[in-house]
Amino acid sequence: MITVELTNVSRWYGNVVAVNDVTLTVRPGVTGLLGPNGAGKTTVLHMIAGLLGPSQGTVLIDGKPSFRNPDIYRTLGLVTENEGVPGFLTAWEFVLVGARLHKLPDPESAARRALDIVELGDAVNRRISTYSKGMRQRTRVAAALVHDPAVLILDEPFNGMDPRQRLHMMDLLHRMGADGRTILFSSHILEEVEQLSGVVQVIVAGRLAASGDYRHIRRLMTNRPHVFLIQSSDDRRLATVLMGQISVSAVELDPAGLQVRANDYGTFTRALSTVARHHSIRLTGVLPSDESLEDVFSYLVAQ
Amino acid sequence: MPDSVIHDIGYQRYEGVRLGRRYAVRSLWVYSLRSAYGLGRSAKAKILPAGLFTLACVASVVLVVVNNALHQRVLSYVGLVSTFSYAATVFVAIVGPELVSRDLRTNLLALYFSRPIERSDYALAKLGALAAALFGLFTGPLLIMLLGMAFNATGGVGGVFHEIGLFLEGLVTAAIHSAVFAAIALPLASLTGRRMFGTGLIIGVFLITAPVSGVLRTLDTGTLGRLAGLLDPVSLVNGVDRWLWGEGLYDTGQYGAAYGLVAVAVTLLGTAGLLRRYRRVRA
Amino acid sequence: MNTTIAALTFRALLGRRRVLLLLPMPALLIGLTLIAQSSPAFIDEWGPVVFAQLGLGVILPLTALVVGSSVLGLEIEDGTITHLLTKPLPRHEIIVAKLAVAWSVTTVATAVPLTAAALITGSAALAAGLVLGAAVGALAYTAGFLALSLLTRRPVAVGLVYIILWENLLTTFVAGTRILSIREQAVALSDSVAGTTWLPTHLNPVAALILAAVLTAIGILGATARLRSYSLSGETS
Repeated sequence: MITVELTNVSRWYGNVVAVNDVTLTVRPGVTGLLGPNGAGKTTVLHMIAGLLGPSQGTVLIDGKPSFRNPDIYRTLGLVTENEGVPGFLTAWEFVLVGARLHKLPDPESAARRALDIVELGDAVNRRISTYSKGMRQRTRVAAALVHDPAVLILDEPFNGMDPRQRLHMMDLLHRMGADGRTILFSSHILEEVEQLSGVVQVIVAGRLAASGDYRHIRRLMTNRPHVFLIQSSDDRRLATVLMGQISVSAVELDPAGLQVRANDYGTFTRALSTVARHHSIRLTGVLPSDESLEDVFSYLVAQ
Repeated sequence: MPDSVIHDIGYQRYEGVRLGRRYAVRSLWVYSLRSAYGLGRSAKAKILPAGLFTLACVASVVLVVVNNALHQRVLSYVGLVSTFSYAATVFVAIVGPELVSRDLRTNLLALYFSRPIERSDYALAKLGALAAALFGLFTGPLLIMLLGMAFNATGGVGGVFHEIGLFLEGLVTAAIHSAVFAAIALPLASLTGRRMFGTGLIIGVFLITAPVSGVLRTLDTGTLGRLAGLLDPVSLVNGVDRWLWGEGLYDTGQYGAAYGLVAVAVTLLGTAGLLRRYRRVRA
Repeated sequence: MNTTIAALTFRALLGRRRVLLLLPMPALLIGLTLIAQSSPAFIDEWGPVVFAQLGLGVILPLTALVVGSSVLGLEIEDGTITHLLTKPLPRHEIIVAKLAVAWSVTTVATAVPLTAAALITGSAALAAGLVLGAAVGALAYTAGFLALSLLTRRPVAVGLVYIILWENLLTTFVAGTRILSIREQAVALSDSVAGTTWLPTHLNPVAALILAAVLTAIGILGATARLRSYSLSGETS
C-alpha cells in the first residue's frame, strides 16, 4: 500500500507556469485527476512518474522522490497518452522485453499473464503496426502491468476506446484499486471519473481547484453562495426587486455597485435579466466576484 | 421525420476574390524560403543559416582586406563562390530535409494536395526555395567584396564598372552552384520522412563522390582524369566555372563544355526525379 | 551489458530495408581500390585519398553519425523512449548497451571493406592498421554522437557541422585543432601499425589513443548524465 505525496509542487517552462503550487495526496484505491485540456494533468502525472522534475516542491512515492530514481519503477507502472510503441515488434515480444528489462524471475509467464489481463488474445503474435488504436493502448497497459506494480499511473486511458473496451478497462482498474493498489488516472470527461473513482483531484489552469469525493464537491458547489457585482441604471430599485427572488440570499448597496449573493448560479442569472427588463432597469455591468470558483464550477456544470 | 434546417447564425459563404494557384505557389515558395532561413521559427533554427552567412561574410571581408593590401586579386568573385562549396553542402544537407521531411511524415502532404496547387507545383516551389535560399547566402559575401573592391578600384568609373562586371559573373556562378546543389539534394531528401536519414544521404552523396573523383583524377592524367570531376557535384560546378570564366579550381582541359552540359543535365534530372517522386508518393 | 536492450536495438537498426543504405559506401571503396590497383598509377598517389580521405575521412564518420544518432535518437523522436526510461535500469546500463550496438555496427561496416581494400593492395599491415584506426575512431565518434542525440533535437546537423567544419576545414588551417579531430586520431593510429607512407598523419599515436579515449569517456559520461535527468514533458513540444 503506497501513498503518493505532492507538496507545494510547481513546474514552469520559462514564463509559462504549467503546474502552480499543488499539494495533494494519492492514497491506495482509484483516484481520478480531472481537468480541462491543457490544465496540467499530464505534467503532474509525468512528475509523479519520475519523467519530469518539479521546479519547486517535492514529489514523494512511499517517501522517496520519483525523479532521477530508476528504482522507483519496480513498483510503478506508467501508461502515457501518446501512442509510442515500436511497430516492428509483436505485442508478445514487446511485453516480454518489458518483463526482461524489469529483471523479473520468470518473464514469460509474467508477460503471458499481463497480456491475458488485457485480453489481446491471438493478436499478440501480430506486429503492433497492424493494430488498432485500442489494441495499442491495451498493449501498453499490459507492458505497464507486467511487473505487478503497486502504483499505476494512466494518462487519459480511455481516449479512443470503444464502450466495451472502456467497460473492461474500468472493471480492471476498479479491481486493482480494491486490491489495495494506488491507481491514478487522468481524464477530461466527467462521466469517466464519475463512474470509476471515489476520490477526485480537480486541476484547472495548473492549480488544484478541488479534492475529495466527487459528489461532495458537487454539493459544495451548489450550496456555496456566489457573489456578483452589478451596476445598473437604478441600483436601489434593483436591490429591492432582487431581494424578492428565491435565488438571492443577500444584497448590499455599495458605491461601486450592487453586491448580490446568490445561492443558485443558474437560476439567478436567468432571473436577473428577466427581472431587470420587467422593471425597465438597464444593466450596465455584471461581474462575478469570486473568479476561481466560477471557473471550476462553470466547467463542471457545463459538461 | 422532423424538418431539418440550417440555422442562420451569421456564417456566410466566402464569395470574394480567390487568389488562385499562382498566389498559392508563390506563398509556398516564400514560406519555404523563410523557413530555410529560420525566420518565423525558434531561435535555434536560425543558428545554421545565420552562422554560415556570418562566416561567409567575415571571410569575404578578410579577402577584401588582403586583396587591397597586396594590390592584387587573390580570389575573385567566382573563386569566392567555389570556396564556400563545403558550407553550401552543409546547408543543403541540413535545410533540404527540413523543407520536405515533415510533410512526408505526417498528413500535411494530403492537406497541400487538396488545395489548388498541383503536386508538381509543390515540388518546384520547394526546389526553388532551396536554391534561392542557398543563392541568398552567397549574395552577402559577394556584395561585400563588390563594395570593398569598388571603392579601391583603379581606373575611376571604368574600374568600377569592371568590378560590377566581375560581380555579375560571381552572381551567375552562385546561381549555377545553387541550382545544381539544390537539384541534387532535394530529391534525395524527399526519399525519406526522417530528417536524420535525409541529411545522411545527401552528405553521403556529396562527400563520397569527392575522393572517388579525386582518385580517378590521379590515376589518369588524360581524358578520364579530366572527366573524373563530373562524378562529384563540387568538382562539377568548379569545372563549369572553369569553362565559363576560365577560373575555378578544376582543370578541365578542353572538356569544359562537357561540364556545362552535365551540369545542366544533372539539374534537369534532379528536378525530374523530384517531380516523379511527388507524383507517385501516397498522400 | 544489458543484452535485452542491445538485441532490441540491433533489431530496430538492422531489421529494416534502410540498412541496405550502408552497402553502397563499402562497395564503392572496394571497387575504387580495384580500379586503382589495376591502373599504372603509384599507390603513393591514390593511397592517401582512398584510405585516409575516403575510408577513414568520410565513410567512418558518416556511418558513425547515422548509426550513433539513431540508436537513441529514433526512439526519442518516436516517443518510445518512455518504455526504456520507466524501467528500474541504471542509466549507464542503457547507454553502454546502446553504445555497444552503435560501435559494433559502425566498426563492422567500416573495417570490413577497409580490410578488403587493404588486402587488395597486398598489405596485411595496412589492413590491421586500418582496423585499429576504424575501431577506435568508431568508438569515439559513436560515443560523441550518442551524447549529441540526447543533447539536441538535431544531432545529425550538429554532428555534420563538426565533421565538415572542424575535421575538414579547420584542421587544414589551424594545426592545433587537430588534436580534437577524431579523424586525425584514427589516421594516426592506423599509421602506427600500418607503417606505410600512405596515411598522412599529424599526431603521435599514443597521444591519439589517449585523446580518443578521453573523448569517448566524455561522450559516455555526458550521455549518462543527460539520460538521468531526461525530462519528458508530454505536452506538444
